[in-house]
Amino acid sequence: MKTPDAAGIAPKQMPTPHRASAFWKSVLFRHETLLLAVLIVEWWFFYTYGTTTNRRGVVVGFGTWDRQFDILRHSCEIGLLALALTPIILTGGIDLSVGSLLGLCAVVFGHLSQAAGLSLPVATLLTLGLGALAGGLNAGLITGFRLPPLIVTLGTYSLFRGLAEALTRGAVTYTDFSPSFLFFGQERWLGLPVQAWMFLGVAVMIWFLVHSTTAGRSFRVIGFSPEGARFAGIASNRQLGLVYVLAGIIAALAAMIYTARLGQAKADAGTGYELFAITAVVLGGTSIFGGKGSVTGTLLGVAAIAVLKNGLATLPSVIRMNAAEEMAGLLTGCLLIFVLTATTLSGSVLARVRRWTLRARQTGASLP
Amino acid sequence: MSAVPILAFRQIEKSFGAIRALRGVNFELQAGEVHALLGENGAGKSTLIKVATGAHAPDAGTIEVAGEVVRRIDPLSARKHGIACIYQQPALFPDLTVEENLALRLEPSSSWRRVDWSTRRQRAETLLSRIGAHFGPDREVRTLSMPEQQLVEIACALGAGARIVIMDEPTASLTRQEQERLFSLVRALRAQSVGVIYISHRLEEIFALADRVTVLRDGASIGTHVVTSMSESRLIELMVGREVAHLYPPTEFSGGAIRLDVRELVCKAGGLKKVSFTVKAGEILGLSGLVGAGRTELARTLFGITPADAGEIRVDGQLLSVRNPRVAVAAGIAYVPEDRRRHGVVLEMPVSHNLTLAARRRYFPWGILRPRVEREAAGHFVESLGIKTAGIGAPAGSLSGGNQQKVSLGRWLATEPKILILDEPTQGVDVGAKGELHRIIRRLAAKGLAVILISSDLPEILGMSDRIGVMREGRLVTVLPGGSSAAAVMAAALGKTEEEKSA
Repeated sequence: MKTPDAAGIAPKQMPTPHRASAFWKSVLFRHETLLLAVLIVEWWFFYTYGTTTNRRGVVVGFGTWDRQFDILRHSCEIGLLALALTPIILTGGIDLSVGSLLGLCAVVFGHLSQAAGLSLPVATLLTLGLGALAGGLNAGLITGFRLPPLIVTLGTYSLFRGLAEALTRGAVTYTDFSPSFLFFGQERWLGLPVQAWMFLGVAVMIWFLVHSTTAGRSFRVIGFSPEGARFAGIASNRQLGLVYVLAGIIAALAAMIYTARLGQAKADAGTGYELFAITAVVLGGTSIFGGKGSVTGTLLGVAAIAVLKNGLATLPSVIRMNAAEEMAGLLTGCLLIFVLTATTLSGSVLARVRRWTLRARQTGASLP
Repeated sequence: MSAVPILAFRQIEKSFGAIRALRGVNFELQAGEVHALLGENGAGKSTLIKVATGAHAPDAGTIEVAGEVVRRIDPLSARKHGIACIYQQPALFPDLTVEENLALRLEPSSSWRRVDWSTRRQRAETLLSRIGAHFGPDREVRTLSMPEQQLVEIACALGAGARIVIMDEPTASLTRQEQERLFSLVRALRAQSVGVIYISHRLEEIFALADRVTVLRDGASIGTHVVTSMSESRLIELMVGREVAHLYPPTEFSGGAIRLDVRELVCKAGGLKKVSFTVKAGEILGLSGLVGAGRTELARTLFGITPADAGEIRVDGQLLSVRNPRVAVAAGIAYVPEDRRRHGVVLEMPVSHNLTLAARRRYFPWGILRPRVEREAAGHFVESLGIKTAGIGAPAGSLSGGNQQKVSLGRWLATEPKILILDEPTQGVDVGAKGELHRIIRRLAAKGLAVILISSDLPEILGMSDRIGVMREGRLVTVLPGGSSAAAVMAAALGKTEEEKSA
C-alpha cells in the first residue's frame, strides 16, 4: 500500500530543467542504440579482418558493395519472417510455423508455375492466398479454441512441412524458372537487389501498422493484458486474426523470393528460419511476453545476425576450418544473451541511479 | 464462561498505508463455543482473521493464546498454537488425492524421509470417518464438490489438532442439506471443546449456530453479545449505526427521460435472475448488496462481457443485443471496472494511451494514430479530472490508486457515453481523492448521464444515490428511494424486507 503513494510523489519531483539530459539518457539506454553499436562493431571487425575473393579471383575486403548487397539479399527472407513475427510477438503470441509455411508455399508455387503451367501473376496470387489461408488456420485455432499459440503453431509447423514433403514426395525439385521471375531474386533494380525493395516495402508497412495505427496499439494492449483488452472493448480475436493472416501472407512472399533467389523450390526450403526470425525479433528488444517492442529493433536485430553470419564466412581462419555455419550459430547465441542481459542490466543500473538521485534530492530538499 | 479464553485479541490495530483497517479490536474466544463475527463489507473481519492466522502482523495490541501472550503469530506458529482456518474457497491441490493433500498439510516437511504409507493411509481414513465423509482417501480433490472439499479442509484442521477453527463464510456455496451437515459438524467440534470463529453474512445461521456474536464496524469491535439476547434488527443496527463521516455533494436530479431500461435480465454464467430496473438521464442509481450478490455480474452483463441469456436491455427506448463490449460502447454504455489494475488501466502503457484507448474510433477515425489529437485529449482529461501525473507519457502504473481510477474513468468519459456504470469507484482510494471522485460523479450526472454506482461502502451509496437498488443472490430485491436509512438497505441486503419502509 506504500508503493502507490511513493510512486505518486516521485514523478512530481522530476525536475523539468533536466528534460534534455533525460532525453539523452533515454536515447542512450535504448535497446536500439545498443544494437546499433553492436552492428557497427561487427561491421568494423569484419571490415578490418575479413577477406574475400571476388568474381575475378582478386582478394578484396569485406567493405565492398557486392558484399553488402550479398548480405541484403541473403537476409531478406528471414527479415521478412521477422517482420511478420513482430506484431505476433507484440500480442504475446508466437508463430513457429512460418518457416514450414515458407517451404510449403515454395513447392506449391513451383508446382503451380511449372507443373500446372499457370502464369506468374496467377501463381503468385494463389500462393499468397495459400499463405493467408494457412495464417487463418493458425488464427482460427488460437482464437476459436483458445489454444496457446505455441501449441497451435508447433502443430502447423509439422503440418505445413509434412504437406510440402508429401506434395513433392520428398524428391521433386522445381527448377527452370523463367528469367522474368528470377529477376526478383537475382537482379538489381535502381541499384539495389530487387527483393530488398520488397523487403523495404513490407518493413514500412509493418512499421506503420505497429507504430501508427490503433490496430498496432491494440496488439500491445493484448500483449500487456488480454483481460484489459476485453474491458477496453478491443476485438481481440479480430486483431489476432489480422496478425496471423498477415504473417501467412508475408511467409508466402518470402517463399517466392527464396525460390527466385535460388532458382529452385524444394520441400525443405526455409527449414529452421522461424528460429532465426524469432531470434532477430527478440534480439531487437521485443518482449517475448508481449506489449513491448519496435519494428526498428527487429530490423536492427536482423541486420546484426545477417552481418555476423555473412562476415564470419570472410574470416580466413574460419574459412580454413570450414566452420562458418557453426561459428555463426554459436556467436548468434552469445550475442543474444549478451544484448539482452546488457539491456536489463543497464535498466536496473539506471533505476538504481534514479533512486540515488531521488533520495539525495529528497534529503537535500528536507534540509533548510 | 469465565474460563481463560483460548484466543484473545486486545486492542489490535492494523493500518495499510493511510487506511486504518483495524482500530482497537477486542475479541475473546472460549473453548467449546461458536463465536460469530459480524460486520459489513470492509468492517475488518478479513483483516482480523488474517491477523489470527499470521498472514498480517498487527501494528499494536496483544494476542493471547490460552492465556499466554504471544508477541506475534506467523503462519507456522499459528499451526503450532492449533489455529486452523477454513476459507470459503478451499485451498487444496486439485490434482492430488485427499490422502496426499492431508499428508502435505500434516506431515513434517523434510526432504530426507521415507513415506510411511500405512500411517498415512490410516490417518486419512480416521480423519475422514471422524468428519463423516462418504468419499475415500484416494479420490482426486478436483472430483470433489465444493462442500466436500471443505470437509477435507476440516479434516486437515482436526488432524492438526486444531483447538481454534476459523470458518470464513463456509456456507456461501452450499445447498441447504450441505449446510445442515456442516452445522452438525461444527456442533461436534464444539462438543470436543474446540473454539470456532464463525463468519457469515446470513443472520439466520448465526442464530442457529452461534453462542456469542461480536460485531465489527469500521475496524473497531462494537460489542460482544450472547446470541440469545439479540434480535436480528438489533444486530443490523449495531452493524450500520454510525454517522456519515463524509460530506457528499447534494443531488441536482429532478427527473428525466428513461435512459436505460432493463427487463427480466438473466445471465446464468453470472448468476443473474430476472433483474429489472430503469435509470433516468441525470440520475444516480446506487447498487448495494453484499459481496457476491451479483452487482458486478449485472454490470458485466450490461456491458457485454458476460452476455445475457434472456431479457431485454433498452437504451433510449432502443432494444439492444449486447453480445460483446463493442455493442455496448457503440450504444453509449461505459463500464469502469472494479479491478482497475487488471481491467481498468494498462499499467505499462502511458497515461495518454490509456485515456484514448476506449474512444479510439472517435479520436482516430481511420484507425491511424494522431499524436497531436491524442496529446490534446489526454491533456484535457488530466486537467478536467485533476489527474496527478508526471506527464501524459508516464506509465499508468506509476500513478497512485486514486489517479489510476481517474484515468480509468477518463478513458470511458472520452467515449461520450449516455450510461456510466461505476464499479467500486472509490475502493482503495484515499479520502481526498474519494471526495474529488464524488464531485466528478455528481457533475457527470448533472450533465445528463445515467449513472449506476456500485459500491460496498454503505455511506457512499446513501450519500450519492438518487435511488438505491439492493441486490441479493443474483436478484434485485428492492429499489429504495434516495435518503433511505442504512438499516433499511442493510436489512434488504441481508434478506429482511418487512421493516423500516417509512422513508
